[in-house]
Amino acid sequence: MPRRRVVVTGLGLVTPVGNTVKESWDNILAGKSGIAPIEHFDTSGFNTRFGGSVKDFDISPYLNPKDARKMDLFIQYGIAAGSQAIDDAGLECDERSAHRIGVAIGSGIGGLPMIEHNHNALNRGGARRISPFFVPGSIINMIAGNLAIQHGFRGPNIAITTACTTGTHNIGYGARTIAYGDADVMICGGAEMATTPLGLGGFSAARALSTRNDEPTSASRPWDRDRDGFVLSDGAGVLVLEEYEHAKKRGATIYAELKGFGMSDDAHHMTAPPEDGRGAAMAMSNAIRDAELDPSQIAYINAHGTSTPTGDLAESRAVERVMGNAASNVAVSSTKSMIGHLLGAAGAVEAVFSILALRDQVAPPTINLDNPQEGCILDYVPHTAREMAIGYALSNSFGFGGTNGSLIFGRA
Amino acid sequence: MQSPLVITGMGMISPLGCGVNAGWERLLAGRSGISPITRFDTNELPIKVAGSVPSISDDPEAGLDSDRVADAKERRKMELFSLYAMAAAEEALAQANWFPTSDAERLATATIVGSGIGGFPTITQAQNTLSTRGHRRLSPFTVPAFLANLAAGNVSIRYGFRGPLGCPVTACAAGVQAIGDGMRLIRSGEADVALVGGAEACIDPLSLASFHAMKALSTEQDEPAKASRPFDQARNGFVMGEGAGLLVIESLAHAEARGATPLAMLSGYGTSADAHHITAGPEDGAGAAAAIRAALKMAGLSPEAIDHINAHATSTPVGDRAEIASLRNAFGDALAGIPISATKSATGHLLGAAGGVESIFSALAVMHDRLPPTLNLENADGDLQDLDIVAGSAREHRSQHVLCNGFGFGGVNAALIVSKV
Repeated sequence: MPRRRVVVTGLGLVTPVGNTVKESWDNILAGKSGIAPIEHFDTSGFNTRFGGSVKDFDISPYLNPKDARKMDLFIQYGIAAGSQAIDDAGLECDERSAHRIGVAIGSGIGGLPMIEHNHNALNRGGARRISPFFVPGSIINMIAGNLAIQHGFRGPNIAITTACTTGTHNIGYGARTIAYGDADVMICGGAEMATTPLGLGGFSAARALSTRNDEPTSASRPWDRDRDGFVLSDGAGVLVLEEYEHAKKRGATIYAELKGFGMSDDAHHMTAPPEDGRGAAMAMSNAIRDAELDPSQIAYINAHGTSTPTGDLAESRAVERVMGNAASNVAVSSTKSMIGHLLGAAGAVEAVFSILALRDQVAPPTINLDNPQEGCILDYVPHTAREMAIGYALSNSFGFGGTNGSLIFGRA
Repeated sequence: MQSPLVITGMGMISPLGCGVNAGWERLLAGRSGISPITRFDTNELPIKVAGSVPSISDDPEAGLDSDRVADAKERRKMELFSLYAMAAAEEALAQANWFPTSDAERLATATIVGSGIGGFPTITQAQNTLSTRGHRRLSPFTVPAFLANLAAGNVSIRYGFRGPLGCPVTACAAGVQAIGDGMRLIRSGEADVALVGGAEACIDPLSLASFHAMKALSTEQDEPAKASRPFDQARNGFVMGEGAGLLVIESLAHAEARGATPLAMLSGYGTSADAHHITAGPEDGAGAAAAIRAALKMAGLSPEAIDHINAHATSTPVGDRAEIASLRNAFGDALAGIPISATKSATGHLLGAAGGVESIFSALAVMHDRLPPTLNLENADGDLQDLDIVAGSAREHRSQHVLCNGFGFGGVNAALIVSKV
C-alpha cells in the first residue's frame, strides 16, 4: 500500500507564554519564562507553589461561555487551540468532505478540576449534588468529540492517552490515518490542565517537581547541574495535518511536511527511564528510518528535556547514541525551560515550536542553562535563540509507563 | 496479497469470572455477573448493583486470586484496572505462547490497552487523603497508578515488550479502537505482534453518582440479575461493569512461522464520528453506520455476509435505539436475517474494556458456532419486532463473520469484524 504524504496546514496554541501561536512563539524566541506562583488555589503548605498557568484566557471567541462552563478547562484549552488551527488552515467542512476529516486529540490526565469538585460535592451533599455535565465535561475524548460536533467532522475520532507522550502519539497516529487513506485531514494534538491541588500534590508526592519556590522563572533548567525536577504546566497545542495533494489543490499554506514518526517502549520502570536512554533512542531511530533520512540530516531537536535529574541525562545520551558522529552538529533545546511541562499537551505544543523553528530557520533557546551537568555534552542552545539552517527538525516526548514517541518535520 | 491478521491468544477478566473459558461457559449458560455492590457502602448512593469481578473467596471456581497476578507490594503501586490487564495479559500470552526473549522480538511487540476512565478510585481516594489529611500524606504512586496508559505500561514492563505502546481513551469505544490501532501497527510494519484490548475498573461512589446524574444507570436494587436488559421495554439504564479483555494478534504468516495456532481472523475494522451530540447518537444512526461500512469495506464483505452481531447495546433506551437505527442504516433488509446478541445483559457495561471482552465473545462465536444469549429480554422494544435477537438461551449457528460494535460518548464509533480462519 503506497503511503500518502502528510503536511501541516494549521497551528493553534494556548500556553503559559501566550494564548495564540504568534504570542507564544515571540515569547519563546525572546527567552521569556511563563512560570509563576500559582494563584488559582491556595498552595500554602505545598512543597511546590508555582507552575506554568495559562493567563487571561478568554474562551468566548471559540465557544459560547455558557456551554464552556459545562466543560473542564483542559477541554476549553483544546477547543481554543483546535479552533485556531482550523481557522489558520482555512479548512471548510461540507457534506462531501465531512467523513474525510477526523480528530485525534488527547490529554494525559483529563478533567481533574471537575473530578475534585464533584468528589467534594458528593462527600458533602450526597449523590444529588453531582452535576449531570460532570461525565461529558471531564472525560478525555471530549475535545475530539466537541470539535467534531462544532465543525461537523465525521471521520475517525480518537483520543490517545499516553501520559507525557500523548500529544506526539496523537499527531503520529493522525498522520498514519492520512497516510493510509482513512482520512484526508486530521486535527491532532493534546491539552492539559492538571495544576490542581491533587495534580500538584500527586506529582509532588512522586518527587517529580522542582521546589524552587523563591525563583519560579529559574525552576525549569534542563541539563543544568542545579535542576531539581519539572514544573507542572497547562495549555494545549493542535495541528491540522493534511494529505499533500489535498492541501495543494485547495491552495492551503503548507508549514511543513510530517516526514517521520517513531515509537517505542522502555519496558523498564513506571516512572524512570533506563540510564542509557535506549528506549528514547529507539523511538528517534524509528522516526528517522520512517522518514528515510540519515541521522546527520537532523539539524534541530526539540528535546523532551523536562528538567528532571535522570530524564535529561538519559535523553542526552540517547541523542548521542542515535546521532553518532553527527551529535556535535545538532542543536538540541528544551522549550520546557520557558513553559514548563504541559504533560499530555507537551508533545503537541513542542511539535508546533519545531515547525516554527523550521519555518523561521531559528532554534529556540534553553534558558536557565548556566552550568551544564557533567556528561551533558551536546549543543543545547543556551540562553538565546539562534538563527541557523534547519532542514529537518525532530521533536521528542517520553512518558510515565516508559512510552516514547518522536516526530520529524521537514520543509515542504 | 497481505497475510491476514489473526488472533492467537485471548485473556479475559469479567464479572462472569476469570479466564476465557469460565466467562464463555457462564455466558452461554445464561448466568448474570451483576450483583449487589459490597466493595463500599452504598446506603447513601442511588446505585446499588454493578458487574464486579468476583474474588477467589466469593467464587472459588473462577474468582480473581490477586496474589497470583501481582504480590501485595506491586499491587500498592497499581490500580485495579492495571491488575485486571496483567491477569488478562498472562492468559492471552500463555495461549499464544508469546514470551519473547530476544531484543528484536521484544521491539516488534506492541502493547495497546485502552481504558475509558483509568484509575478513578485512586483519584477519589487521593482526593479524600488531600482534603482530610493534607497533601503530605499522598502516596508517591498516586500519579503512576491513575494514568490511563499504565495498564499498557505495567504489562509491557512485566513482559519486556519494547515496541509501540498506546492507550486510546475514547470512552466506551476505547477497547475496539485499541484493536484497530494494533491492526494498523502490524499492517504498517511497526510491530509483528500486538497485545490489544481494554481494561477498566471504576466502580466507585463518585463514578456511579456521576453516571447517575446523567440518568444513564439502571437504578434496579432488588433483582441485580435483571438490571441489564438491552432492547427490553423495561430497561432503564446501563449497569457498570469492570474487567479486562486482551488479544494477541499477528499476521497469519507470522503465526504459522512460529507454530502458533490461529484462533480467528480480524478481517475488518472501521471508525467514525457522529459529529452530533456529546452523549446521544443521531436518530438515523449515520455515524455508527459509517464505521460499520468502513469495516465491511476493509473485509471486502457485503452486509449479507455477516452471520452474527455482538451489539454495543448497553441497556439505555436512547443508545439501544440509535444502534438499531445504525444497523438498519448499514444492513438494510438483510438485518432481519442476522441474529443479534447483547452480552452486556450478562456482564454489564465494561466501558473501555467492553470492546476487548466483546471481541473475545465474537471470536468464540466464530470458533464454536454458538451465539451467546441476551438475558432479560421479556418484551422487545416495538421498533425491533422484525429482528432476530438471540433471547433467553444460547443458539447453535454457523458463523463465518461476526460484527462487534463499540460506541462512546463524544460520538465516537468503532466496528470490528471477526472471521473464521
